[in-house]
Amino acid sequence: MKYLLLFLVLALGGKQVWAHEFTPAYPTLEQSYMDGVLQTKMLLFNLRKDVTYYELDVFDKDWNKVPFAATDKIVEVKYLERKYIDVFVREKDKGRALYICSKSKLLSDNSNITMVATRICSKIK
Amino acid sequence: MLKKSLAIGFFMAIFMAARASAVEVPIVGNVAAKCVIVPDTAGVYGNPSPDELSTDTADGGVAPIVRYDVLQANFFKAVISYPTAFSVSPALSDVVNWTGSVATSKVSVSGMSAYDTNKVEYNNTSEFNLTIAGTTWFKTNSTAEYGYGKAFPSGTYRAVVTAECIAL
Repeated sequence: MKYLLLFLVLALGGKQVWAHEFTPAYPTLEQSYMDGVLQTKMLLFNLRKDVTYYELDVFDKDWNKVPFAATDKIVEVKYLERKYIDVFVREKDKGRALYICSKSKLLSDNSNITMVATRICSKIK
Repeated sequence: MLKKSLAIGFFMAIFMAARASAVEVPIVGNVAAKCVIVPDTAGVYGNPSPDELSTDTADGGVAPIVRYDVLQANFFKAVISYPTAFSVSPALSDVVNWTGSVATSKVSVSGMSAYDTNKVEYNNTSEFNLTIAGTTWFKTNSTAEYGYGKAFPSGTYRAVVTAECIAL
């Protein structure tokens, strides 16, 4: 019995899951407390133990950068932490801004493994 | 008799007090369109010949695998790029020629095997429309060849695969 339990612990609990989650998938821009500035709230959930920083960006339909503001453009999100991020876009860019993206920032070290940079882009409705 | 009634009354009072202090703790959850990217397997470059680094198993390498979890169908596309440069390497004086490919390695729904035939490829990038809800594992192979049969200098080599999930 104890070997069966040990097997189950190793088989089910031994593998770590590292993931990157950025929601909502379809955010909406709403009036902020400033005139001429719209805002939306995004949620970044860091399940990647190897990543602590994520870079935010806003793009148009041709993937050109659109000016935006946030508390930090490179956000520190610790492992297993959820962080709500307010993203501000000028009202005049409302029709232009289409994607809000978060991209993992990888640290350079001397390990010889191939790393995976993840980027999730939500589409503004 | 009176003692017995008092004892019963005392226990009833304790029981009622315990019930009154019970608090309901709500658990709230929302299911919405969501894409989660999970780096499943880290890649390793094998060195089958002095001028080549490859993630191919036959060359002693390990191809990195990325898992995509999609909660709803037709809401996202996966865009995966194999590396075209080293992020960490010794000083290289010659050109490095890169080749690679991205393909599904495992699927949670059999219909997802069509992703490979429907994928769009350009430069070092492959795009897959995630038309079925569920989990897909994508394997990225890459090979780097140094100059014209030139030996790679000794040192650590590292490259980065980019996995994106874009809302449609």
